[in-house]
Amino acid sequence: MLRDAVFTTLLIIVIIALTYLTYSGGLGDLPPQDIRLIAKNYLNLTYNRDAYWLWTASPEAVSAIVWDYRGLDTLFETAVFYGAILAALTVFRGVAKLPDTAGSAGLSLVVKRSTALVTLAILTVATSTALHGHLTPGGGFQGGAIASIAPLLLLVVFGRRFFTDNRITYGKLLTLRNISLSLLGISTLTILLYGLLINASGYIFQNQAKATSPLSYPSHILDVPLGGTIFFLNLFEFLAVTSGFTLVFTILLSSEEILSKEFEGEDHGY
Amino acid sequence: MRIMDIELVIFMFMLTVMSLYFNFAISLYGVVAKVNLVKKLIALTILQDTINIFTVLVGYRLLRPGLTLQPPVVIDLNPTPEVIKEFVTRSVDPLPQAFVLTAVVIGLAVTLFLTTIVLHVSRHFKTVNVDEIGRLKRGYIHEEAV
Repeated sequence: MLRDAVFTTLLIIVIIALTYLTYSGGLGDLPPQDIRLIAKNYLNLTYNRDAYWLWTASPEAVSAIVWDYRGLDTLFETAVFYGAILAALTVFRGVAKLPDTAGSAGLSLVVKRSTALVTLAILTVATSTALHGHLTPGGGFQGGAIASIAPLLLLVVFGRRFFTDNRITYGKLLTLRNISLSLLGISTLTILLYGLLINASGYIFQNQAKATSPLSYPSHILDVPLGGTIFFLNLFEFLAVTSGFTLVFTILLSSEEILSKEFEGEDHGY
Repeated sequence: MRIMDIELVIFMFMLTVMSLYFNFAISLYGVVAKVNLVKKLIALTILQDTINIFTVLVGYRLLRPGLTLQPPVVIDLNPTPEVIKEFVTRSVDPLPQAFVLTAVVIGLAVTLFLTTIVLHVSRHFKTVNVDEIGRLKRGYIHEEAV
């Protein structure tokens, strides 16, 4: 009881202190009258053909920052996400490849049919979000996060063995994920390697031609902006995130019997 | 838009900021004071989302007469310098949005990792109550010592 009272008092003090600091201008004008200079630069250059050596060929400034101006940041972020999935898979490495012993028939026919339609819609929206990431708000990760709802639904509605029965195995999903991540890495190096081949200068993570490097990814396809590397990075990130999530969901939704095998062994393994 | 309306916009904005502080405090309380690990995890995700919304909010700009705000997307696919100039004056800050995108992914990775750990702990101790887990652990250590 005393603990709750102390916590509540402390939290009220935190709220009042933060509010006072904000009101007295600790964060500058809120809402700001104008955006920061660096943001103005990004907005000015992202789809400005007149500054061709600094543009990204992507009308969507957020994607341009995420995959071009601050691309290395995102590469490491992808590495962190890869690590998290890897950690989850490692914990369950012994049981990950086992097919589920509890054969679940899933839910009723009506639910199955409607889920099939909804799944199609989810995948369409996800693909569109990922592939239009350089044109409209969205991107590879967001598309992947939407798409990963589909396997979750399928596992619940069609039963735990849906993927193994349809030959979508652990190995195939892991291969898809590794290939996508490898392609993601390769697409950041393509210009550099091509430059080495034809004896021209190129950079890691280069998207469009720079003042000192004439090489660039295609900026348009059939009169539609392609965003150069941004489109490919979004696509590979989408595939990697979808397959990674599917792997984790498949394992986490396995039956008790399978999962508890991982926790056998040491008496007090904490 | 009259001056009175701008004051209203600022007031509403500050109210949103305050409600986010309130949300921040409550979720902090959840993370620190709750004994159930699943509740701690839920509070942590609320904390992450609060901070993310706050970051996006800081990148907003004041809505005032003669200024229509827009997302940071160039709509005209063959923009003239005038269009770009207009875009820069009307668009909101894209940088916090990009940061939040990174933070969301990292947050998801953390949540995934913690979920796995909570699952592990709950299967091992048959409970997600931290007080109970502490008691059980003390019991185990005592047994081993004996």
